[in-house]
Amino acid sequence: MPFGSVVFAFAVGALIVGATGANPFSAYAGLLCGGLGIGCTQGENPALEISNTIVFAIPLITTGVAVALPFRAGLFNIGAEGQLLVGSMACTAIGIKFNTLPSPILLPMVLLGGMAAGAVWAGIPGVLKATVGAHEVVTTIMLNYIAQWLLRFLIIGGPLQLGPGTSKSLPIGEGAHLATVLPVDNALIIFGLPASVYRVHTGLLIALAAAALFAFLLWRTSFGYEIRAVGQSQKAARYAGVSVRRTIILTMLIAGAFSGLAGAVQIAGVDHNLTDKYFTDTTGFDAIAVALLGLGSAVGIVLAAVLFGALHAGGAIMQSDAGISSNLVLVLQALILFSIAANFVGAIRRGLPLGRAPAALPPELPPAAGLMSEATAPPPEPT
Amino acid sequence: MAHKQLRFLGVVAAAMILTMACGGSSGGPPAKTFKIGLVTDIGGLNDKSFNHLADVGLEKAKTDFKVQGDVKESKSGDDYVPNLTDFATKKYDLVIGVGFLMQEAVGTVSGQFPDIHFAIIDGAGTDAKGVDLKHPNVQSLYFKEQDAGAMVGVMAGWMEKNGKAKKNKHVIGAVGGISIPPVNHYIAGYKWAAKMEDPSVNVLVGYSNNFTDPAKCKGVAKSQVDANADILFQVAGGCGLGVLQQAGQSGVYSIGVDADQKDADPSVIASALKKVDVATYTAIKNVVNNQFQAGALTFSIANEGAGYSVDNFTVPPELQAELDKVLGQIKSGALTPPADIPA
Repeated sequence: MPFGSVVFAFAVGALIVGATGANPFSAYAGLLCGGLGIGCTQGENPALEISNTIVFAIPLITTGVAVALPFRAGLFNIGAEGQLLVGSMACTAIGIKFNTLPSPILLPMVLLGGMAAGAVWAGIPGVLKATVGAHEVVTTIMLNYIAQWLLRFLIIGGPLQLGPGTSKSLPIGEGAHLATVLPVDNALIIFGLPASVYRVHTGLLIALAAAALFAFLLWRTSFGYEIRAVGQSQKAARYAGVSVRRTIILTMLIAGAFSGLAGAVQIAGVDHNLTDKYFTDTTGFDAIAVALLGLGSAVGIVLAAVLFGALHAGGAIMQSDAGISSNLVLVLQALILFSIAANFVGAIRRGLPLGRAPAALPPELPPAAGLMSEATAPPPEPT
Repeated sequence: MAHKQLRFLGVVAAAMILTMACGGSSGGPPAKTFKIGLVTDIGGLNDKSFNHLADVGLEKAKTDFKVQGDVKESKSGDDYVPNLTDFATKKYDLVIGVGFLMQEAVGTVSGQFPDIHFAIIDGAGTDAKGVDLKHPNVQSLYFKEQDAGAMVGVMAGWMEKNGKAKKNKHVIGAVGGISIPPVNHYIAGYKWAAKMEDPSVNVLVGYSNNFTDPAKCKGVAKSQVDANADILFQVAGGCGLGVLQQAGQSGVYSIGVDADQKDADPSVIASALKKVDVATYTAIKNVVNNQFQAGALTFSIANEGAGYSVDNFTVPPELQAELDKVLGQIKSGALTPPADIPA
């Protein structure tokens, strides 16, 4: 992870807090407590804060992977949000329709259903890119809107609506629930609080498995080699006998399956129904930041997702403890991205005549580097 | 030297006054500081509506009582449960959720923390199916929207009857978001009161099926203006801003909803008010006075929890007299605006 960018962002963030007349140290103390449960002074429960951070990080890991994989193939998947939404919709629809089935049957059904829906949603831009050269940035953004309005239709007046005047769906069947790590029991006291407040669910394992699968696929399979080859240069890949079309379509299908899985896991693990909060969900967009910050590596993505989850969870604590608007968290996220994009830290390092060796580059170019040249290339010719 | 002595004397005097003041006011043990936690919905504190008004109520309580008030703005729907839970784990005396979007979250968290008092604006603590769990530690703060709707209805009806509107064809309109009870309560009071003032008035009622997109409400408003309506009442939240804009563009009058919307468009002559600040303040006051009660607490004209504001418009004295008369009659119970839209 580009730690320098994170440090830069926090330093500038501190200046901004200071400029507004507040104390940057208490702001960051609040963030640290709310995000990681460290140094809490106002009665927060550290275990609960860590639990909240993990809950926020889980979908970011899976969607982060869904953005990072196409990056490697030189594709910019802005559609992780839409793919997540259709995944959550498919999961909910199946979970409602077959709500009497037992968990060993229903749970795989809803998760696979979410993956299939996400794969279709990402497959459309993939096919369009590979056949007529439609730019995936445009098509995935447009499909986000279609997914959002489809969701509105489904839960406001549509077939999944709970009842007249509501803007949420029926709950999914018990069998479709992903188990939480601790029992959902208000009477059982763990770390001083009812066990049901700790919402960490087994979707964490699924997310980590997704990250591991991503790394395996990319570095240990011939298909992963093809993805990277296409990402480096489509022409060279074609000369080497790689089917660029097939690689683009398959990459998008797999990425969509990851995003759809993220949506399904969120429904099965946390929400148990579709609600209007998904209208304003931004997980799939934050995932772009996570993938960039994680430099497209599995470990990096997990760390970046935890960082963003901690920022999310910590923002509210910062606001109530230090009286600093939780919007600062959005500023910090933007600053982190900004400094990655502008590569300040690298520029400063290069500019300083210290005679130091350049920092070890990731095994290949950072994913965004090759994007601008390759993404604007003409559509691949038939092979 | 003389200066220093004087200053010392001054400090001593100030200290003595302070001591006396304290000694005079509190006879018993030092009063407890009540901790109040406010969780906004995704609208945030600057929504010029519910969240903002709830914060106004909290600030007022802070000046009147020994209250420590803390606010958490929810950035997404994912934040409701963690934000409510955080206040609950810190043993706040009252945790307030703003808006019906938080119903399920309040239902969940209030079950986990039976010793903590919760209040929710415009909703209840529910399960996933929207069924009120009736937890004994949850207070629902509801509003009689029909009271506020009736006041602006009086205004609209009186203006049609006395030829003070723009077209004076005895047609007025109301644009609702979705046909749900709170929206229909407003429209019911509006139509009922307008008919009372001007029996010949025709009240057009339309729905945009949307609460956020101004363009959709603009379309409904346009069709009502085309049907000769010249006073439009918006009951559609952010979508309804389109109603106010359309009224401005078409040169007719409009009426805002929930909060005072005089700044939204110059065409706004009045707003029907849900006084969320009064509700929030009252809920806090009850906790401070150890009078917390579970279940519904309804705010209406009778307890100053609903009302109206006159905006970019000068009210003729006759209309003001009529408004005051109806307000008094609703307050005393002589008049009761209906909750269902009259035929």
